[in-house]
Order: sequence, then C-alpha cells, then structure tokens
Amino acid sequence: MQTDKTLDRNVAGRTAGRGLTEPAPVRWGLTIVALLFLGLFLFVPLASVFAQALEKGWGAYLEAIREPDALSSVRLTLIAAAVSVPLNLLFGVAAAWGIAKFDFPGKSILITLIDLPFSVSPVISGLIYVLMFGLQGWLGPWLDSHNIKIIFAVPGIILATIFVTFPFVARELIPLMQAQGKEEEEAALVLGANGLQTFLRVTLPNIRWGILYGVILCNARAMGEFGAVSVVSGHIRGATNTIPLHVEILYNEYNYVAAFAVASLLALLALVTLAAKSLVEWRMRGEPM
Amino acid sequence: MSIEIRSVSKQFGSFNALREVSLTVPSGELVALLGPSGSGKTTLLRIIAGLESPDRGSILFNGREATDRHVRERQVGFVFQHYALFRHMTVFENVAFGLRVKPRGSRPSKGEIREKVEGLLKLVQLESLAGRYPAQLSGGQRQRVALARALAVEPQVLLLDEPFGALDAKVRLELRRWLRRLHDEIHVTSVFVTHDQEEALEVADRVVVMNEGRIEQQGTPEEVYDRPSNPFVYNFLGNVNLFHGRVHAGAARIGEISIDLPEYRATENSPAVAYVRPYDIEISRIRQNPEEIEAEVRHIQGAGAVARLELERLDTSEPVEAELTRERHRELGLRQGEKVFIRPRNLRVFVEDYQI
Amino acid sequence: MKRHSVLPGFGPTLGYTVFYLSLIVLIPLSALVFKSVGLSWGEFWSTVAAPRVAASYRLTFGAALLAAAINALFGVLTAWVLVRYRFPGKRVIDALVDLPFALPTAVAGITLASVYSGNGWLGRYLEPLGIKVAYTPLGILVAMIFIGLPFVVRTVQPVLEELESELEEAAACLGSNRWQTFRRVLFPTLLPPLLTGFALAFARAVGEYGSIIFIAGNMPMVSEITPLLIITNLEQYDYAGATAIASVMLGVSFILILAVNLLQRWSRRYAE
Repeated sequence: MQTDKTLDRNVAGRTAGRGLTEPAPVRWGLTIVALLFLGLFLFVPLASVFAQALEKGWGAYLEAIREPDALSSVRLTLIAAAVSVPLNLLFGVAAAWGIAKFDFPGKSILITLIDLPFSVSPVISGLIYVLMFGLQGWLGPWLDSHNIKIIFAVPGIILATIFVTFPFVARELIPLMQAQGKEEEEAALVLGANGLQTFLRVTLPNIRWGILYGVILCNARAMGEFGAVSVVSGHIRGATNTIPLHVEILYNEYNYVAAFAVASLLALLALVTLAAKSLVEWRMRGEPM
Repeated sequence: MSIEIRSVSKQFGSFNALREVSLTVPSGELVALLGPSGSGKTTLLRIIAGLESPDRGSILFNGREATDRHVRERQVGFVFQHYALFRHMTVFENVAFGLRVKPRGSRPSKGEIREKVEGLLKLVQLESLAGRYPAQLSGGQRQRVALARALAVEPQVLLLDEPFGALDAKVRLELRRWLRRLHDEIHVTSVFVTHDQEEALEVADRVVVMNEGRIEQQGTPEEVYDRPSNPFVYNFLGNVNLFHGRVHAGAARIGEISIDLPEYRATENSPAVAYVRPYDIEISRIRQNPEEIEAEVRHIQGAGAVARLELERLDTSEPVEAELTRERHRELGLRQGEKVFIRPRNLRVFVEDYQI
Repeated sequence: MKRHSVLPGFGPTLGYTVFYLSLIVLIPLSALVFKSVGLSWGEFWSTVAAPRVAASYRLTFGAALLAAAINALFGVLTAWVLVRYRFPGKRVIDALVDLPFALPTAVAGITLASVYSGNGWLGRYLEPLGIKVAYTPLGILVAMIFIGLPFVVRTVQPVLEELESELEEAAACLGSNRWQTFRRVLFPTLLPPLLTGFALAFARAVGEYGSIIFIAGNMPMVSEITPLLIITNLEQYDYAGATAIASVMLGVSFILILAVNLLQRWSRRYAE
C-alpha cells in the first residue's frame, strides 16, 4: 500500500484521498486553461511554420531549400556550429573539472561570470565584437592594415556564436559533477590510476549524458542564433548569411513560402533537439546517481 | 607493513582537524580509530592514504618516509564510506580496475586478471554477481565489492572509512565478524574508522579513541573499556552513571561513599565526578551497609538478556541507570515506585578540573 | 590558495577556464564598458535620455514586465497541471514547453507575425473583435510571452515534483481545505522558484531581439524596442550612441543577475 501511494503520490485522481486533490471539474478546468495557453503561444505557431512552408506544395518547398543562397547559408551555419560547439565543449569540461572537483575562493563569482552570456542581450553580444574588431574598434585599424576581416565576415559570425553558446556545456556539467562528488576519482587514484586514466575511465563515463545534453542545447542555439550574428554579419547574401539571417531576408522580401520553407528546417532542428533532449533526460533519470 | 604517524597536524580553515597526533600501527594489526564526528579520525585515515596531506608532521611506512609519496604509489587499499564504486562498471570491472590501470610493464595479462578477480570475488562470496552493476546490489554486497576492489592491488595497508556505517544493524553485525575473520586470514595491516564503540571493541586488535583532533587513549579493547584514562573515554565507551562529589587529601567523598585515592593526595577539596557502568550498580531492598544510596524505581525494562532499571536518587533527584541479570531481576521482583538501596562498584573518580 | 585534494589538473583546467572566459566574454564586454566610459557625461545623457530612447525603455521594460507576469501566472498553472494531473499527450506537451528555447528566434518571429497578422490563423479571429496584435505593442507582448514561457514552468516544476505529499496531508489533517493548503502551504514554497523564473523571463524579454522585430512594426515612439535602437544606431555608424544605450541595458542585466542570485540564496534559506 505504502509503495503504491509513493509511486502515484503526485498524480491526483487515482489514489489520493478526498480533500487531497481538487474536484474533477477544477482539475479539468485548470488543464484546459493551461493547454489553451500553450496552444495559443506554442502549438499553433509551430504548426503554422510547416503549413505555410508547404502552402504552395512540395515543389516550391524543395526549390526554396535548394536555392544556392539557401545552401550557402546552411553551409555557414554548419561551419559556425562545427567550430563553436567543440570549443565550448572543451571549455565546459575543463571548467566543470576545475570548479566541481576543487575548492577555491571566488568559485561562485566564476560560475556567475560563466553564465553571463545568457543574461546579455544578443544584440549586445554582437555589438561587443564590433567594438573590438570593427573598423572603429580597438583592434580595427590594425586588422584593417593587415587585411584581416573579422566583422562582416565569417570569423565574426563564429565569435558571436561562441559567445551566445558559451555557458551551455559548462552549466550542465558543473552541477552534475558537483553532485557526483570526487570519491570515485579518489578511489581510482588509490587503486593506482593516473590522472588521464581516472578522467577517461571514471569521470567521462559518468558525465557522458550530461555532455550530450549540453552539446544538444549548445548546437541548437549555435544554429539558431539570430540577434548577435545579425549585428556582425553584414548580411551579404551567399557569403555571410546563416540560415536565420537568410530567413529574415526572404521574409523581408515578402517571399513568404521560401522564408517559411527555410524556417521549417530550423523548426525541424528544434523538434529533433527537443526529442533528443527528452531522450537524454530520460536516460539520465535511469542512470543511478 | 607498519605505519608510523609523527605529530601530524591538519587544519581546514580555522578548524583544527588534527593536533599533533602520533600513532604507531604495527605490521599485521587491525586497528580501530574510534571517535565522534569531527574528532579527526577520517582526516587521519585520509592522510595515511595520501588523499590529504598533513600541514605538519610526517607519515612513515615500514620506517621509511612516505609523507610526500603520491597516493598512487603508497600501495594502500582504501574502502570509502559510501564505497565509491564505479557506477558504470560491473562488479567484475570494478574489482579489475586497479589491475587494468597498472603501467604496461607490470600489468597482468587478461587471463591473470580474470583469475585474480574471480579469486577475490570468491573470497568476498560474490562470484555469482560478477556481471551486476553496483546499483543492483544491496549495501552489504557493495561493501564487499569495495573491499575486493581494494584488495585486488595487493595493498600493504588496508584503510576503511566507516566501513559499516551505511548498513542496517543486522548486516552490520554479520559483516564486521566477517571482516575480522578475513583479517585473520590475510593479515594485512588494517586501519578502520568508526564512531560505533561496540564495533571497535568487537573487531579491532587495538582501539584508538580520538576526540577533537587528539588521541585520548589507545590500547586493546579490554584496556580502553576497563581502564578508561579520562572521562571522555569513559563516556564514549558505553553507558555510564555520574556521581558528583569532592576529593580531599587522597580520599573522595561521593554521597555516603568514600574511596581512597592515593594519587590525589595533594588535591584539596576539589569537585570530582565518579563514573560507574550500569551493570556495576548493585541493588538491594534493605540497607546492608551505610555506604548505600536510597533511590526509587522509576521504570523497568525487563525484556532482553539484561533488565534495565531507571532509578532516581532520593537525596539529589539525579537519575541512575542500572542493569541486572535476568536471574537477579527475577529474584528481586522489583516494581515501579519501590524504594531500594543502590551501591556502586568499581567507581572511577576524576577530579573535575581534569585537563587532558 | 590551499587545496585539499589529490586530484590532478586543478591548475590547467582553472587556468584554461579563466583564459577562455576572459578572451570570449570578459575582454569584449569590457570593450563596451570602456567605450561608454569614454563618452562625456553630457553626450552620454543626451543619448540615453533622448525621447525616442526613453520611449523604447518604457515599451521594452513595460512589455517585458507584463509578459513576465503573465508567464508567472500561466507558468505556475502549467507546471501544476503537468506535475499533478494526467491527460493524454502529457509527455509530448511537457517536452514542447521548451520549444521557445530550441526554436530559433527568427523563426519564432516570422511565425508569430504571420499567425497573429490580420489574415493569419489567429489574427483573423481577433481582428474582427478589434484586437490588432501584429505590428502593435501587443505583438511585442505576444513575442515576449512566447520566448519567456519556459522559464517559470521549468523553475517551478522540479520544486513541485519534489514537494512531499506529507505536507499537504498534514495540512488536510489539520483541517485546511484545498485552497487554503495551496495558499498557505504550497504557495510559500513555490514563491522563490516563481520569482526566480519571473526574473529570468523578464531578463530574457528585455534583451530579446529576433522574435520581436518581425511582429513589432518598429514604429519610433510606439513599437520600437531598445535592442532595435542599438542596431539602428549601429547601422547609421553611430557607435557612441549604440554603446551608450547598450551600456544602460548591460547595467540592467547585471542588476537582474544580482537579483536572481539573491533570490536563489533566499530560496535556499530553509535548506539544511
């Protein structure tokens, strides 16, 4: 009896006694209001992306996606993600090891600073690189005289992408590794393992789902970032446009079908991201802590 | 291998975990570090293992300096309080870990590893669970995996941090007897940390009682139990009754009782406390000599091997706990509320301003 | 700096962390701070307090506040329904709550604009009622609600899941009815995560750009948000103006970070 109750303790209507849950009409009322809210703001817009993308049929859809500028924007988005995700992954693992496994003063300030890019407006995230590397920026004149282009070029887009996705892996791993403690690593050392062996054989297997989770979120943001990238890109068609920027251009040209067709790629990415994320969450829950 | 600890001190922030601790563990002995939480026992164990480094003092293994030797090279086996089993490895892989990470030159072959691990799993009676993951094991089984894993690298010293702390009472009892038998078989120098006096007294060859970063007393279980060297040890090892009195010129006066204390000949009229174990309280219905204290029976707990009585002294209203054998309890046939006379045997008197 | 650990790698990992953090985040952000410090006070003030800019603050912060409040209300409701009740499709809906985190803001922007425009899926029913959403401040509110939606749900949900049912049982045994139990027992526990989620949603809405500009209409003094003003200045090569306004927003972000940190400390005050 006890176990039944604990299993279901949070789900009303089956086992909870009277007075411990709301009457059925209230339950249904609340559920409907919540679903209506989610419907208006989430589900209807999501469905409309695909509906509008396919408004003129599959032919128009595929044409919009196969168009050279669209393909080049896909290429640039993949490049930006391929550079920023591994760099932030490396950083995230290093930061989590240093922060979770050791005690030092100023730790909580460091964690706050790592989270900083999440609190900064994407527009500012782009602006700061313009102020650094733009023609009127700190390093602008020097870069210009050496013919290095960062702003309104691919490196700027990559930098802005790294900035906005900076905390994803670290903020996933730090609490995970803090919760796991360091006893297993100490056990490995006592048994004669060296540092690398300890990390590869003991730490890494324990955080693999956390890493995957962080990478999934990091990648989604890297491929979808708009504001920061928009500031540094210069919007040069076929050269410095990522997928979101290409969507903007098509939309502003009133080419709605094409805009939504390309946007549907990103919406699909979002759905895949959510599915993968739920899967990993489910795996992590199954994993004994 | 013998272990020698020479005036080791360790501080965490402003907390003195260890103050000038010195201790020698002879080769092949099973030693218990016993003390309340915060007494420094776990810190001392971790310093022996090399998981912490002392602020001052040194550690010697077999007479050789080992203070700065890295934990990897100390050849110690360490069993963690919560076992620290590698959760993503099977029981077999956990036990094999220490062999697999050996440098290529000294690493045993696959077959040798298999043979060794199987032998160890047999020793800890877990052969049938080799393929399980730690999460699928009971607490007692995890504990034995942790032990097998520690033994796999053939440690010179086995260190166990609260090895039975996380187990329920029945399993704890079985496992500690088993550990004692195991030690008698393999005879590796072992140190274990516990806060449970019964456990320390039952399992260890020698008990080291610690408090507030210092060693209060060390000796065989009989020595520390029968001859506690100070009130802390007395209190910590088992239930105890306190009788307040005074010491003057080599004699203590505790209520109606007076005791000769030649070692306190120089003491003048100081407050003192006498300690006596509950089973050293004799009870009778009628006064047999003047040195008895009148008390009232408050509560009787008659179930079990001994009967426990809660009494209240009529002179000071202080509670007194007594234990009677079953026969004596039946013989007396006491009832709640009855007046009795109690006489403490084997009183240990400590002058109250006693400082360690 | 004394460490109590035998684990290796403290120096290299922390060193790399600080190095990479400085390179990517701290130095570029300090460029903004230095650049704005370089402005004279009069210059700075005339930029950040200009009527058009002030109107954008009112709009941005006002709409963000309202959106966060709406999200707080519906966020608690959504979390409650997801944790406590059973209904078909619950797991999928639970996963979809995070859509605003995963869906690129540009996609959200064009989609909301088209759905809520006069002939869009929802706009066509609202327009006859006299409610114009797209290309008005109301559109900005809708976009801000969208991008802030997951915050309150995701901060309140885990707390609600971990709540011991004994608490409610105890309250019921003591004679409290459902509403009293919610108001006096559950709500005080949910308040800290609720406020944290509110602050996070507010911070996100204040800085948001992508999903808003498509639906906002971007009329100066009416529906122009502050981040857009920064971009407008930048496109006119008015770096000083962009920097000044950006530094005001950055200041607000820092205050919000501080607020969230204090809230989280406060919410742990009963923790052992």
